[in-house]
Amino acid sequence: MTPRTAIGALVGGFGVVVGLVGSAAVAAAVLVALGLPADIRAEDPPPAPVVQPRPSVLVVALSLGDPVLQAGVVRDGEVILARGLEVDIARNLARRLGIPHVRFVYVRPASRLLAARAHPWHIVISSIRPTRTASSLADLSEPYLLTDQAVVLRRGLPRLTTLGDLQSKITCALRGSDGARAIAASVVPVVRPILAPSIDRLLQLVQTGVCDAAVVDADGVGRLVAGRAGVLGQITARVEFGGGYVVAVTRGGPVAVAEVERALQRMRADGTMHRLAGAWLGIDPARLRPLR
Amino acid sequence: MRVSIRVGDVRSQANPIAMKCRLFLAFAASALALPGTAGAGVSVWFVADGKPVPIVRSGTTIERAVEQLLAGPTPAEHSRGIRSAVPRFTPLLSVTVSRRIVTVDLGARFAAGRDESALHGRVGQLVRTVRSIPGVLAVRLLVEGGVPVGLFPGYDLRSPVTAAVDRVPHQPVTIDFQRQLVDLGFMAPSGLTGTVDAQTSTAVLGFQKWSGLERDGTLGVATIVALQRAARPEPARRAPGRRIEIQLRRQLALLIDANRVVRAVHISSGAGGKTPTGSFRIYRKERYSWSVPFKVWLPWASYFTGGVALHEFGSVPTYAASHGCVRVNHYDAQMLFGFAETGTPVDVFDEAAV
Repeated sequence: MTPRTAIGALVGGFGVVVGLVGSAAVAAAVLVALGLPADIRAEDPPPAPVVQPRPSVLVVALSLGDPVLQAGVVRDGEVILARGLEVDIARNLARRLGIPHVRFVYVRPASRLLAARAHPWHIVISSIRPTRTASSLADLSEPYLLTDQAVVLRRGLPRLTTLGDLQSKITCALRGSDGARAIAASVVPVVRPILAPSIDRLLQLVQTGVCDAAVVDADGVGRLVAGRAGVLGQITARVEFGGGYVVAVTRGGPVAVAEVERALQRMRADGTMHRLAGAWLGIDPARLRPLR
Repeated sequence: MRVSIRVGDVRSQANPIAMKCRLFLAFAASALALPGTAGAGVSVWFVADGKPVPIVRSGTTIERAVEQLLAGPTPAEHSRGIRSAVPRFTPLLSVTVSRRIVTVDLGARFAAGRDESALHGRVGQLVRTVRSIPGVLAVRLLVEGGVPVGLFPGYDLRSPVTAAVDRVPHQPVTIDFQRQLVDLGFMAPSGLTGTVDAQTSTAVLGFQKWSGLERDGTLGVATIVALQRAARPEPARRAPGRRIEIQLRRQLALLIDANRVVRAVHISSGAGGKTPTGSFRIYRKERYSWSVPFKVWLPWASYFTGGVALHEFGSVPTYAASHGCVRVNHYDAQMLFGFAETGTPVDVFDEAAV
């Protein structure tokens, strides 16, 4: 390249740069003239969230009916004498959220808990599973109670450590239950599982050794084996299946789902959840080791 | 007719309004005696030996009957074993009758406690007591003026209750015991007949031998109690594959596959220790085997050492009685013959020595 052509190229390149800068400036001016919305201008602060005042009463919706999870007396749509694991969790949550009082309201059927147009309650705690529909209707917390499947062994069998240990055993479950589905989907045993028509029959199969391990709901296993000490083996572990129950938080309400999750985490960390689960369910499903 | 009585409204006799209230109360109480109420007294239901029992008490009204129920058994009744699941001093808030449906409103104490059977039982007592008054069709239970939901297991109290729900534990019958024997490996599923027959007795004998019970072959109390808690027999030794353990002290043959007892069989071995102990293998099998020394046919014979075989025999007593062979009962002989293929290990031992 000669010096002349080099200078020419340099001048030409400068002209292109000037042209690009000029085009950008013109485009910016046009955009400003068109009235660009303020919220996408980089230098503007983000909008402040609407902070609702903290209520003095946490309104909790229940559907009742389970003597262990939630039961009570309904008077004029309010639940008095409420009790159960979920009721205690709700009371604990309120305390940790700094809300001094809890009011329980009764919603029947349970399908209305989330689907109702107006939500005159702050949270719903009623054995809600984190389905796609539920998450489209409310903000959902992490599970407060696992709905995995627990493994109850027959007497004399050693503790299981892996899913492979369970695969080689004769498994059994209640016909049509989540336990039966968990065996088919997660355990995949070598020997065809035995499906019992009733809980009594299921426990008898484990007691007599026809079956090595029963796979049953982890949140009900404590009550199931209560009073059968010495006849059944240990509740050894759980098969991860089905997730858990979550708290549904009403959108736009005074309680944020992040706060609820933090409170649940603290309840878990300081042993409150373990104590409550032990008191109402007999065991804490979260303390069972998952088989993988 | 719709009458309501709120107990505790009347507090002072000096107060003329209170006097009027008392008169109203008396009127209402008499009005609550439905047509057909017997004058002799009311039946108040308590519990004795886990079963509901009626106790006749004075009074003719529903309210009186409920009050007597809430008061509980007298000391004399208590000493006779009569109990109540209703918490003492439960307040009666009101009794209302409408279209022969009685609504009883009780204090929160009625729902106290977590014992499911007690919670269930107290509703049963209330329903029985109120329903035993002639003319009453159903009972509606309220607690503190509200409808209990899920508090009392076994009852849906959102609508009136017409009858008490009994929670009688399942009383096992013969078929249940037979199923237990099958589950435990002492009987073939073909033995599920529902009647105590020879096959059941044979299986019971096997179970009694394993459990160290008296060997009488009957489903007596001790056997039934043991059956409720029994587990499947475990082999004395661990070894892979199919094998047979002959336990001389128990007089049982355990058919084992992969260290799992497939069947426990009632047998009778050689009297006076004539069956040799040790580890052998099935080496000859005959559907019918002729015993030369004893001149008798031995069906389903599986020889494991010399002239000693496992075979069917008509008489299989609870003790060692043969000339050296292992007698097998009629119900298990064919199955054992099929299980004991040629080459199957047979361990004969006194289990006390293992």
